[in-house]
Amino acid sequence: MPNINTTSRRDFVSRMLTAGAGLGLGSLLNIPPFTHQAMAEGSIGANGKKLIFLFLRGGNDGLNTVVPVGDPEYGPNIRSSTLIPSDAGTNYSETNIPCDFPVSGDNPTFAYQNSIRVGNGFAGLHPSLKFLAPVYNSGDLLMLHRVGYPQQSRSHFDSQIYWESGVPNDRSVNDGIFYRTMIESGLAGTAPLTGVSFQQKLPVLLQGPDAAMTNLSDPLRYNLLGVPNDSGTGILKARNEIDAAQNYQWANKNYRNLLDLQYGNLSNTLDIFGGIDFTETGNTFVDDENTDDGNDPYFLFPSDKDKNGGYTFNNNDGNKFVVDNTSQSRSFFKNLKAAALMLNHTDAIVAGTEFTKFDSHANQGGVDGIHSDLLQRVGWAIYSLRKYFKIYGKNGTNPSAGAKVSWDDVVVVTLTEFGRTTVENTSSGTDHAEAGVMFVAGGGVKGYGKSGLTTGVIGADPQDTFPWVTGPTGSMFAVRDRYLERVMDFRSVLGKLIRNHLGATQDQLNRIIPGYTNEAGEHLLSGGLVTEPVEAQGISTNIIGEPDLLV
Amino acid sequence: MKTFISRATLALLITVHANLKAQIPAPQPPQINNFVFGNGLTSFDWTPFPAADSYVISATSDLNLAMTPDANGSRTGFTWTSTNTSDVQFFRLDTIPLDTNAQLTASVLNRLAYGPTPHLLDRFSSNSISDFITEQLAPETVVENSTLAHTNVSILQGKFADHNTYMQLEAETGPGSARLKDLRAWHLLNAVHADRQLLEVLTQFLENHFVTQFTKSRAEIGKFFQESQMEERMAVSFEYREIDLWRQALLSPACTFRQLLEISCESPAMILYLDTFGSRADKTRIPNENFSREIMELFCMGVDNGYDQTDIEQMSFGWAGWTLEMVELGEAFNPFAPRATTELNPGLGTSYTNLVGVCAFNFRSEWHDEDAQVIFSNKFVPARFGKPWVSGLYGNATPGLYQLDLPIRTGTNAVQDGYDIINHVADLPFTQEFISVKLCRLFVHDNFAHGYDFTSPTLSPEGQLVKQCMLVWETNSPKGQIRKVLRTIFDSELFQSQNAAFAKIKTPIEYAASAIRALALSTNRTRLANTFTADTDGYSLIVPMSRMGSMLLFDRSDPDGYPEHGQGWISAGTLAERVRWVQSFCIAEGLSGHSGNQNGTKNDALFTVCDPVRLLQTRLPSPGDQLDATKVANLFLGFLYPGEGAANLEFYRQAAVNYLNTEDDGVTPSNFNLLIPSNSPGTAYDTRIRGLVAMLMSAKRFNEQ
Repeated sequence: MPNINTTSRRDFVSRMLTAGAGLGLGSLLNIPPFTHQAMAEGSIGANGKKLIFLFLRGGNDGLNTVVPVGDPEYGPNIRSSTLIPSDAGTNYSETNIPCDFPVSGDNPTFAYQNSIRVGNGFAGLHPSLKFLAPVYNSGDLLMLHRVGYPQQSRSHFDSQIYWESGVPNDRSVNDGIFYRTMIESGLAGTAPLTGVSFQQKLPVLLQGPDAAMTNLSDPLRYNLLGVPNDSGTGILKARNEIDAAQNYQWANKNYRNLLDLQYGNLSNTLDIFGGIDFTETGNTFVDDENTDDGNDPYFLFPSDKDKNGGYTFNNNDGNKFVVDNTSQSRSFFKNLKAAALMLNHTDAIVAGTEFTKFDSHANQGGVDGIHSDLLQRVGWAIYSLRKYFKIYGKNGTNPSAGAKVSWDDVVVVTLTEFGRTTVENTSSGTDHAEAGVMFVAGGGVKGYGKSGLTTGVIGADPQDTFPWVTGPTGSMFAVRDRYLERVMDFRSVLGKLIRNHLGATQDQLNRIIPGYTNEAGEHLLSGGLVTEPVEAQGISTNIIGEPDLLV
Repeated sequence: MKTFISRATLALLITVHANLKAQIPAPQPPQINNFVFGNGLTSFDWTPFPAADSYVISATSDLNLAMTPDANGSRTGFTWTSTNTSDVQFFRLDTIPLDTNAQLTASVLNRLAYGPTPHLLDRFSSNSISDFITEQLAPETVVENSTLAHTNVSILQGKFADHNTYMQLEAETGPGSARLKDLRAWHLLNAVHADRQLLEVLTQFLENHFVTQFTKSRAEIGKFFQESQMEERMAVSFEYREIDLWRQALLSPACTFRQLLEISCESPAMILYLDTFGSRADKTRIPNENFSREIMELFCMGVDNGYDQTDIEQMSFGWAGWTLEMVELGEAFNPFAPRATTELNPGLGTSYTNLVGVCAFNFRSEWHDEDAQVIFSNKFVPARFGKPWVSGLYGNATPGLYQLDLPIRTGTNAVQDGYDIINHVADLPFTQEFISVKLCRLFVHDNFAHGYDFTSPTLSPEGQLVKQCMLVWETNSPKGQIRKVLRTIFDSELFQSQNAAFAKIKTPIEYAASAIRALALSTNRTRLANTFTADTDGYSLIVPMSRMGSMLLFDRSDPDGYPEHGQGWISAGTLAERVRWVQSFCIAEGLSGHSGNQNGTKNDALFTVCDPVRLLQTRLPSPGDQLDATKVANLFLGFLYPGEGAANLEFYRQAAVNYLNTEDDGVTPSNFNLLIPSNSPGTAYDTRIRGLVAMLMSAKRFNEQ
């Protein structure tokens, strides 16, 4: 008897939903990789604007990043070894002044042992972030505090996926917010490169079922070798074999679509990467000014001990490292450099990498220590990206041959899955909590001194629309008596950047971030009081909607 | 499987005569495309069907008559071209799959083992693969000969110290001298050579499930030792001791999940990794939540599955005081043992480095809060579990209530808080569900997740399998017997059908081990050391595994373990590394590309080597066969892609034959049958065969299992 045995998509979806959990529901967007509609809409990829993401994995301690110096409760009551002290001689409440850039003593790089005054009358910066000061003072940096999302998950893995998918509290969505942005560009199915990452694995941010984004863990090894040897013939043969095998049909299986896409991506991108010099020898990018009163400029990407700050210029003085001298740090700056090179020299639209090890449950440290080392990397990364594009980018002071992008075309954004507990634990660390800090930097960012702004800090100010409430019942303890309460949704930040910077239309953004214009519930666009069912039962939170990020 | 098509009406009739049980989704029947006729030809093509061994096209001009094979046409891949163009003509596509034992053999050897070997394929070409499942489920019945298969195995085993052995921290040999690379090499050699393959797969699963991190242990130990090799060796011993205890437990027929969990909770590596080491709850201090969270989220219940933040905070008090101490030998399982006093060099003091003892779990009652705690306060098993779980008793008088009360306990009695938690959490329905889900993901496919409505009449096949696992877990005594759960999975239709076949992506360890195993024939069948046509020293796989996606064995930094799902492993960058490594592995030892440097970085294979010509000559002893390109191609396709039917491998076979008949330049034709068979590196024949194997292993398919 004929037995037509097919499964329609609707059957599939309804069966999955019956199962109670979203099992492998691949994509949020049921649209082909390149559609006429997408081509006609927006200007993502066509307007020359690009974005760099830096994911701080593990949950960065936002309170020790942008320190609420003006909140008297931030002190020995809640923190001991993790406390960032304030300087008795500095008036942190002074407003409308630039961020301090402390230089002192024999070890000017990081000798300062207190919160750096930001100049908004309230906030301080961890002293390891001092290189953010020049970026901030040029108006190219915004510090966003109290960022989170409703029903904050305190699981690393869920919360990272929520940040990356852009759909909190729904594990059935497995594709990434930047993946969907690239799909909306209309280029993901045709251009060999749209979204690129340099890290251990392709992040969820760039994962999705209908087009391959590219991840490399080591661009220097991104080439082939083959029998009979590792030179011309072997490489050519291996390459031909991979290309030929692309045409072999096979029956449908779970991962064959992924393998088809990523083998195709391998074929399509080998030559592009081969044309860029990722070697250490090629890492000649240096600052255009001298730091620490030295006589030489620092290398922008310290992917080698000799290129780490003023170390070699000062008779191998370990106090002159600009970031910690570890293999992790070097490998991070290799990846950061690769991301910068990709944006400057190819048509890739989004590139990024990650920091790991922010999960500081134990021995977090304060002014010095594990967390401090990580923050040094963050501060120097943002500083160096700005300098790289201002010097070596398009219209830069010393542009690289074929430079495609200027600093005005670039936005750098940091992500982290949550902040950490306000109160220190017994292991001299902090545990998973709620709202945290994001940094947004770029030539087009609307920061301190631009458009008459007297501050580049949003969310860490008692003068805000939804002010930082100080004291033992204030903002730092507003959730479960120990977590910082959010005042901003990360999707509002990314949404603003995807639309106003990368060039999505509002309709496209509504597909990239579902519910974006649902002002009755989420308030991502214009802000308002978020209540259940978006929030958990009995909770309501005021959020500001889209922050004013761009000039 | 029959697929009818009619040129007369251009309608498709798709018929499935498959022997598939209800509910389990069958593979899509072939879809007919591009049906064209004209110019004296009829042609159409179709989508491949899994494991199709052959496709037969029959035709008739009258449906009242029997269909007969269409002698007027020919098949190329998945296209039929026929000169049969009469006005009314019906065609039928018959798909004849590989026999079910061969299909299942591939799934079993890819999941219960680190891939097929020529020996195992031989054995199960004439024996039922269910024999293998049965013996692997009882590893104590399998004679383990890995020490004979590679001399490094016993050398490395001599370097490990168990929990009763004093570690020779400063020696280069003997118990305790193992460094991280030694542990990794041993683990990798076992993956390649062990007879108890399922035990190795489960060891890796547990190591990854109850993840701990060598680097973190070393850093913490460093505060007491301050000597880098001693720190390393101590940290390695923690990793070794965990898996040693798990392996011993798994050799017992009634091994339960609770036992495995307890080993993890007491493991020094875990106590350091998730920070119970320094966690104190003595009134003014807030205990560290890290272990409390992850034991629920990652090790037992699954994220947001039956617990909340309050439970995490309450439970964290229960673990306070679970720390480590260097105690006398023999006291490793006495959590109240005092610090050892036996000095290695009498008179040099009682610093840690001069104590003869063992570093083990130790309970410090003064760090423990004596107050009562309530975990899972007033929480009931959700209705979605149905019976027997919703009406079960979980230490409370009220059915379905799984609240755990930790009473006021003083002094050393308070260690019981932790064991109460272990005993309670190990068999909760949430744990049964989550662990079953993880095992199903490991052995069947990746689309399992916790949160099923087990009472739903439309519960998916995946949900039903999880429920069966849970029933076996719940209804046997003791609860949670691992073998019974595994048996349920292996006997399931989902596992035995095409739903599982090739539905998973190999992780780097699976990729590397399976590549070696596929080519590893013991030429005299003794399976003794140095008789294999492919082998590794273990050490040489460490760096490639890192490059194929940072799979750093015993040193995962995130507590979620390495992913099972393919998205976590497959991207252009990791594929380039996989292809590079198999090519390097196939390049003859000593030739450029096998080892040495390229672009400033070392090449991959080092002491991982293969001799495919020797393999070929053992299996095809006739010189004529050795020069028959089709036979050679089929031989290697059989080793590399068992479980796929011959018809579906046609492109590969054709490409292989072409490859064999082409010069190294990849362009110039060259008659393979005129070459002189030889396995000497650099000879034309050897290079040709190596290139052929490398080409087949570089295919997308080799990433699947």
